[in-house]
Amino acid sequence: MSYAIEVEQLTKSYENKAALRGIGFKVEAGSCFGLLGPNGAGKSTTMKILSGLLEPDQGKARIFGNDLGTAANEVRKQVGYVPQSITLYEKLSAADNLVFFGEMYGVKGKELKRRIDEVLEQVGLADRAKDAVEKFSGGMKRRVNIAAALLHRPKLIIMDEPTVGIDPQSRNHIFEMIRSLQQSGVTVLYSTHYMEEVESMCDSLAIVDNGQVIAGGTLGEVMDRFGTQAVYLELQDGKAPPALAEYGKAEAKDGGWILETATPLDALADWAEVCKERSLKVKRLEMVRPSLEHVFLTLTGTTLRDN
Amino acid sequence: MIFSIATKEWKLLLKEKGTFFWLLLMPVMFIVLFGTVLGQLGSTPQTLTYIDMDRSSASEALLASLEAKGGYKLEAKDAGTLDDELSRIREGKLSSLLVIPKGFDGALAEGGNSQASVVLYSDAASDTVAGLRTTLENVASDYREQRIDDALKSAGANEESRKQALQSPLRIEDKPQNSTESNTVTQVVPGYTVMFVFFVMISMIRRFVTDKTTGMTARLRTTRMSPLNYLLGMWLAYLGVALVQCTVLLAFGHYAYDVQLGDLSAIAALVFMLALCGTGIGLALSMVVRGENQGMAFVQLITMGGAVLGGLWFPLEYMPKAMQTVSHFIPQYWAQKAFQDIMVRGDHLSGILPSLAVLAAFAVACIAIALLRFRGFMKSALSG
Repeated sequence: MSYAIEVEQLTKSYENKAALRGIGFKVEAGSCFGLLGPNGAGKSTTMKILSGLLEPDQGKARIFGNDLGTAANEVRKQVGYVPQSITLYEKLSAADNLVFFGEMYGVKGKELKRRIDEVLEQVGLADRAKDAVEKFSGGMKRRVNIAAALLHRPKLIIMDEPTVGIDPQSRNHIFEMIRSLQQSGVTVLYSTHYMEEVESMCDSLAIVDNGQVIAGGTLGEVMDRFGTQAVYLELQDGKAPPALAEYGKAEAKDGGWILETATPLDALADWAEVCKERSLKVKRLEMVRPSLEHVFLTLTGTTLRDN
Repeated sequence: MIFSIATKEWKLLLKEKGTFFWLLLMPVMFIVLFGTVLGQLGSTPQTLTYIDMDRSSASEALLASLEAKGGYKLEAKDAGTLDDELSRIREGKLSSLLVIPKGFDGALAEGGNSQASVVLYSDAASDTVAGLRTTLENVASDYREQRIDDALKSAGANEESRKQALQSPLRIEDKPQNSTESNTVTQVVPGYTVMFVFFVMISMIRRFVTDKTTGMTARLRTTRMSPLNYLLGMWLAYLGVALVQCTVLLAFGHYAYDVQLGDLSAIAALVFMLALCGTGIGLALSMVVRGENQGMAFVQLITMGGAVLGGLWFPLEYMPKAMQTVSHFIPQYWAQKAFQDIMVRGDHLSGILPSLAVLAAFAVACIAIALLRFRGFMKSALSG
């Protein structure tokens, strides 16, 4: 198996405050990998190291086998970095911004012109190439922001929360674009706070907290290992359902009640039986698939992380 | 890659209206304003307000003489307004009033030891009175010469001997050493060109700080661009801007005010070195300042302070000796001096080499500071 990214025991501190404490993970080439974590968990620091912006204090990072410490220039040719903030020159047109970034990536002449046309088509802005970026909506700017990282045909795209604060249409367009990139063999490292994005796009993921990976693997592996299965019951009169002592206490959620259990099928059958015996009218009774958000909050806690 | 960065910067500058205002429109406005004002100083006749109580041919001759010698525009007032005019002087509304008293003609004609007199009332705070007083003294001297001439004539002296007797033992030979005609605009055009070249620092600091705070510098570091390329590309962009700015302003001075530029190759070398120096300081400041506001404060200090101490607004001779010494440590002084050397004194490249060397030294020192601080700038940009 070939890996696009191999990270081993990375550590990084800012003024004696540890941002990374031995983080490690591997990303399969051609896959989409989600990097999740609360604010300050170490996601952006990890991405900046992988993009060549920061040097780790300790540990190893390899991109397509190239060590970041010794082959940074080679790595830069293979990586496209989409930062969290929109870093474009607002007064310049989309095309002028792309000309500039293309030249910074070493693409020139007719090839650059061709690539600009292609990436503008990819991000759905071919007809707005001549317009100043300052006239664009937030979603359009985000798409140009991504386009600027694609010009040199990178084998790895690192995206740091690329869908923050944009409209559903732009977000959907970005998802489609990422899927298309992945189909063409590009590896995507994707950081986000939106769990549903990871669930719908990523093949594997790592949940990071306090500078370490606390859970990782394919989506299924993580859910199997950390996701508790559950049964959902909602009565027509809205009252609390009868308790099932052997399964523990049900908790109110979304107008009904949810019961977490390792044996959801048995619990579902028992609850159905009790409701039938007591002639309770059931509105909904179903097994619930554990959500990634639930797993995330279970692992990282619900305490606010403002820093 | 360096040229790509410079091209991007030029595109951005062309889109920003403020650039044209600060770098071209503003200096042109200053040149027009001060060129017009200072260029017409002395050509507008000064008004001489007087009250002629004598109303004689002698008083009229005196006034005609003052008009001819001082170039004054005469303004007569009635004798009854004397108190009002004196009040106006005390209130600062009138700078001076010349009063020719009654009996002036008689006293003048009497001869012997008698003296005719005129009264000059003046505002002590006015700068124009000294000139009027000098003109009056010159006219009084003419009267004295006339009286001596009359006395010698009465004694039987012939015209030749009278002419010899009245001839001054001191002769002034006026030999200007400048090969080119100089005027106030010759001071204003290079002065404001030098001053506004340093305003390019505003755009430089703004761009570097904005790139750093928005994450642009960091993003560019993920490309194949090296940090040194970034520094050189940005510098090249503003060096070009300063060169265009100087060219436009000097051309404007030449075509609008007929300022003689002198040896163009020397001017070109000076403009290049001035642009190098101004952008070099801008580069160093961009690397040193913590934010845009701090940068703007430094720019004001360097441009305004340098303009005064460098003799860009008025000749350095007007300043105290100590300040004149301090001015030798200001790049603006050397740039202005070199412009004057070429444009007024007709110097060529060899004549301005010392000034070019000083400007080059400033540029090298500032670029060294910029390079030393660049690592810290990038570190700060990447960790943000």
